Amino acid sequence: MDFFKSIPTHMDFEGQARAEYLSRVIILLFAAVGLVWGYIIQQFSQTVYILGAGFALAALLTIPPWPMYRRKPLNWQKVKSTGESNSTESNKKAKRK
Amino acid sequence: MHSVLQRGNAIFAYALSVLACLTFVCFASTVFLNYRTQADMRTVNVVVKNVPDYSASREKNDLGFLTFDLQTDLTHLFNWNVKQLFLYLTAEYETANNKLNQVVLWDKIILRGENAVLDFKNANTKYYFWDDGNGLKGNKNITLTLSWNIIPNAGFLPNIFAHGSHSFKFPVEYTTSRM
Repeated sequence: MDFFKSIPTHMDFEGQARAEYLSRVIILLFAAVGLVWGYIIQQFSQTVYILGAGFALAALLTIPPWPMYRRKPLNWQKVKSTGESNSTESNKKAKRK
Repeated sequence: MHSVLQRGNAIFAYALSVLACLTFVCFASTVFLNYRTQADMRTVNVVVKNVPDYSASREKNDLGFLTFDLQTDLTHLFNWNVKQLFLYLTAEYETANNKLNQVVLWDKIILRGENAVLDFKNANTKYYFWDDGNGLKGNKNITLTLSWNIIPNAGFLPNIFAHGSHSFKFPVEYTTSRM
């Protein structure tokens, strides 16, 4: 179970947008090619297969969180400690930033 | 932030939507095509018998027997939205009992890729030509027509009538001998 949890699945926001855009471009491209090819040879099944190939390629390229989707991670603030003793110290640090 | 499953679901749903659009394009590209074509048919032997119809009332009804020639070329009807053709040969006639009688005598399924050039000589009918009375003997105007259903990938299931028909008459005497 720990092994599965250790697999990274996270994309950053911009990576998410890129992944979605890329998947739509790939699927639409394969759909257009499949439509033309299927019409030329008059076999609608070929259109469906080509669309299926486009789906597979889009899934491979945009479902796993490849490094290209993780280039702009969010800069989260440091966790503020809530302990009473060093609360003033952490406040000062935050102000300094 | 989307998880792996959410991304997969989004791609899958999008691909299915695109597939629906492609199917609609396939339908739209063929919906206005004219699927009628010429078919030549004629009868060879025609006899009529008067025998008990045990499948119905056991009364004696007219039973027609005929053999027919049929020539037609349906190759050009097949396109990317046609999976198969269902041909059927219909006899239409009028009797004292009924204004319109229609009897399917023969049918055939042609799958895509099979030979669609038909040339039957002296073929037998597949189904009995029963009348519901005595309307066949001496009937002067029986019309054979060929029709077909087009079974598509997507869209309508049209019923097409071939150009060309054949009219014949039944003999005025019953045939009693075995055939």
